[in-house]
Amino acid sequence: MITFSYSQLLGLVAPETILVLTALVVLAVDLLVMRESSLRDRFLVSGLFATVGLIIAGAWLLAINVPAPGAHEVVVGLPMLTGMYVDSALGRLVKVAVLVLTLCTIVMSLAATFTKHVGEYLALILLATVGMLFLISAEDVLMIFIALELTSLSLYILTAFNKRSLRSAEAALKYFLFGGMSAAFMLFGLSYLYGLSGSTGLHEIAARLGGPILDPLVAAAIVMVAIGFGFKIAVAPFHLWAPDTYQGAPTPSAAFIASGSKVASFFVLAKVMTLGLAHSGGSAGWGGYAPGWLPVLAVLVVLSTFLGNLAAIAQTNVKRLLAYSAIAHAGYALLGILANSPAGLTALVFYVITYGLTVLGAFAIVGLVEEATGEARLVDFAGLGRREPMLAFCMLIFLLSLAGIPPLAGFFGKFYLFAAVAAGGANLSLLWLVVFAIAMSAVSLYYYLQVLKQIYVAPSPAEPIALRVPAATRVLLALITLVILVLGCAPNLLLGYLLAAQ
Amino acid sequence: MQDYLFYIFSALTLLCGALIILSRNPINSAMFLVLSIASMAGLFVLLHAFFLAAVQVLVYAGAVMVLFLFVIMLLDLKVEQRRRINAFGAVTGLLAVGVIVWVMVTTMLGTSLPAVTEVLRHEGGTEPLGTLLFHQYVLPFEILSVLLLVAMVGAILLSKKDLK
Repeated sequence: MITFSYSQLLGLVAPETILVLTALVVLAVDLLVMRESSLRDRFLVSGLFATVGLIIAGAWLLAINVPAPGAHEVVVGLPMLTGMYVDSALGRLVKVAVLVLTLCTIVMSLAATFTKHVGEYLALILLATVGMLFLISAEDVLMIFIALELTSLSLYILTAFNKRSLRSAEAALKYFLFGGMSAAFMLFGLSYLYGLSGSTGLHEIAARLGGPILDPLVAAAIVMVAIGFGFKIAVAPFHLWAPDTYQGAPTPSAAFIASGSKVASFFVLAKVMTLGLAHSGGSAGWGGYAPGWLPVLAVLVVLSTFLGNLAAIAQTNVKRLLAYSAIAHAGYALLGILANSPAGLTALVFYVITYGLTVLGAFAIVGLVEEATGEARLVDFAGLGRREPMLAFCMLIFLLSLAGIPPLAGFFGKFYLFAAVAAGGANLSLLWLVVFAIAMSAVSLYYYLQVLKQIYVAPSPAEPIALRVPAATRVLLALITLVILVLGCAPNLLLGYLLAAQ
Repeated sequence: MQDYLFYIFSALTLLCGALIILSRNPINSAMFLVLSIASMAGLFVLLHAFFLAAVQVLVYAGAVMVLFLFVIMLLDLKVEQRRRINAFGAVTGLLAVGVIVWVMVTTMLGTSLPAVTEVLRHEGGTEPLGTLLFHQYVLPFEILSVLLLVAMVGAILLSKKDLK
């Protein structure tokens, strides 16, 4: 009989377990104890519980049984879990980043008025985070699929949370239908990989697929998996749901979709491609084309940086503008996977973490404006610089960081990505992608500056509507701005950790 | 004998699967889904997974489908409107399906499967299934329970009327 220690397993997945328990506590407290209290108190109490749970889980990740850098060992004593749960130093840092983004989302939603179901809202955010954490440590296609579905399902519901708004329901339905289709594609592709290799573990799949010569069935699997993930991370041409979903969803939900879920999805996509299809990469070099997943991703990069940046120019709603810019940024982030090297992975993680923070802050401000004026059109931002100098300054930092202006975190994120990808191909053969991405990045400056022009140059409307800015949001925005400034001046503060963990 | 049964059951599964999406009356679709699921249970039996086959019939063909039919009848769905087929979509879709089928068929013809020599490791009763679920697949199993919780919370939340 096989011995199996459940206490050991529980110790291994402690951070995730803590979060599930926190979610249950939040649900119970809100439904049983806080029923009669005011909306504000319920958000404060439930938010407090959620915060405590997130902090304990984060502290556990950072302090207890941290694996040695570079170690990707299967846990001793639980060999049966091969690949289902891999505890690595880098993975732990990514998990902590996701927890921080979740915490920011919760702080952002503390003053929300779009729902009366406080416990459910916060619990679903926490359970989505559980899915992301499992996703980050999964190296097994079965586990990846289940964790991804847990995350997606929670996000669909979070999108539909504003039951008073027709747009929210429309956004959720679109997100759900696209998400369901993409899950089907991904499952189909993964089933090919399983059928060809007879295993669900990424390492075993790579070992048994072997060989640089591409089986046509592997090619079909690569395309299917790329389509499935393409929907989840919203790269062109699978981006159609993103603008409507970002616009219709309650602002904290949209920010969460754009930040936390992106970090986890990109990390696991990098694993699927570089570990599971390690020998089926091919080449996307200029003049050195070879079939594999690299050219597939290169096509996605070109399409989404091109389409995302050009479509963003035409937007008049700032939430839609951020959605199209998210599509472009997903294109840049794919470059980190294309580099197919440890340096590329580090650059990718640095990029998605700083991007997640920045976009979260930007969404918070857009949400405040939207709440006051009913819509987040460009003209609604007119004169914000004089009415709310602090918010305007934060928005300035966020947008310039998204555009990649030094000395802000976004600049170094892009810099490391482009450097890693340029070094990734033999004889600088991937340089064409870098040149294209930089050119498109220059285009993006135009629409970011359009927003800033409204904020700082355009005159205020005759009767401006006062913004209601909760103190917690103000503190959060100031902190995020500070982090982006500090990481821009000293990127090593984060990059050093990531490099040391590899 | 087993081979013939396999082909019969898989042909039935596929045929009913196609009829689910081809029939325009939702009730007919649901009934074909029952048939498709039942023939899939036959495939499970051929794989020696008796317990799974029984559960498949009881839970999916039985309980879930009854609820499904209930909902369809409660909603009083009409016969689906005939929709004009988009020529572009039809051509590209057929092309993609054709290429995938071609790739699969050529791969299958090109591969010679090794003769099955491996002795069956798990006879498909409840005990080996339980061992697998609570050892090797314990994490996915537990995560699925969290997923069901999310689905339940979401279903209640979205279907409930906000009293106001």
